[in-house]
Amino acid sequence: MSKTILIVDDSASVRQVVSIALRGAGYEVVTAADGQDALKQLDGKRIHLIISDVNMPNMDGITLVGEVKKLPSYKFTPIIMLTTESQEDKKRQAQAAGAKAWVTKPFQPAQMLAAVSKLIMP
Amino acid sequence: MVEFLIAAVALAAGYLLGVRRHRRPVSEDTGPADHERGITEFAAAVAPVWSSQIESSRVQMETAVAAVTTEFSQIVDNLDAVLTSSSAVLEDSQGGGSFDRGRQRLGNVVGTLDDALSSKREALRDLETLLGLNDDLKQMTSEVAQIAAQTNLLALNASIEAARAGEAGAGFGIVALEVRQLAERSFQTSEKMAGRVEGIAGAIAGALAKAEGDTEREGAAVARANSEVTEVLDDLGAVFAGLRESSDRLERAAVGIRSGVSEAIVNLQFQDRIGQVLEHLRDNIGRMPAVASSGNLDARSLLAELEATYTMHQEREAHHTGARTAAAVPESEITFF
Repeated sequence: MSKTILIVDDSASVRQVVSIALRGAGYEVVTAADGQDALKQLDGKRIHLIISDVNMPNMDGITLVGEVKKLPSYKFTPIIMLTTESQEDKKRQAQAAGAKAWVTKPFQPAQMLAAVSKLIMP
Repeated sequence: MVEFLIAAVALAAGYLLGVRRHRRPVSEDTGPADHERGITEFAAAVAPVWSSQIESSRVQMETAVAAVTTEFSQIVDNLDAVLTSSSAVLEDSQGGGSFDRGRQRLGNVVGTLDDALSSKREALRDLETLLGLNDDLKQMTSEVAQIAAQTNLLALNASIEAARAGEAGAGFGIVALEVRQLAERSFQTSEKMAGRVEGIAGAIAGALAKAEGDTEREGAAVARANSEVTEVLDDLGAVFAGLRESSDRLERAAVGIRSGVSEAIVNLQFQDRIGQVLEHLRDNIGRMPAVASSGNLDARSLLAELEATYTMHQEREAHHTGARTAAAVPESEITFF
């Protein structure tokens, strides 16, 4: 059974690019446009990994990580931050909130897939 | 697009700074309050238009890039489907698939015909054997006729001897006569047998000649069929080999196209970066009316607000150096926590 990954990004084109890379590797994909939308998308679904942007409207990625960690069903779900953000303090905030990896855009699909396969639950 | 924005922002900044620089001389003519009002009205009029143009362009670009990404992903999916399908068909037909199965089945058909021909040749050999046996019968019939002739001669001699014996040989003469009659009948029977054997031999020889002719023609037909099947299979094999070569070329081209399209999709991430720059500019321009109406036209404060929204090194670099050439986008980095 293939693994399902939630992609959270306010840019439709980034959601598309990440989806293409992941689907090409056999993963199922669910998408959300911001943190709030992501929390709605979770809603009991079996999600094996989350890839989230940092700077988004309504709810940013770091807040989303904190909120996901509060949910018993998802507190162990690994989260990768995918961002243009280059400030070190944001990276540290993401780590403190519970993110597992920090990937800067523009990403290379092979790198992203390597990170996903390293973190995703068997 | 970015050139336009830079020009627009520079124009606005230049205007505001110019007004500020020349505030005193102008105010001597019209008074400071009028100029402050003029600046406020200018900012209130211009900033929303610029912001909405930036936002409109950003949204258009995002929509267009998302559509292009979708189209590209469909091209990649279609190429994958075509490659999989083409490869499967040729694998099945060429590599131990239907082509080899067809060759095997046709070979079986020709083999069946060969088997039938072999059985027929076996039957012909039986007929030849029968013809040989018939010759034996003919020989035996001839021997029976000779025996009958010799018996007849013997009986004739016995009759002569019986007649010479007179009364005493009368009974023996009757026996000798009977023997002669039996010899005569044996001779007649052997004659009939010889006729029948001759007839059987003729029938067998006729059947044999016809069967041999048929077998020769059938053998030729089977050999021709075998040759035709081999030629057809060789032709088909050549066609399949050509198809395979053509398919391989197409596959290499498709893989190249797929790789190019995938690379193009990855490069479309530029939209996210440009979109963020535009958002930051839009929001900062949106702040201009409030700054202008505050009466404190502090460009550094407004620019500091803009800088605080930056997320990328390139934005900060362009901000401080004023470089119009975009700095190189850094390679993607992964940090595991």
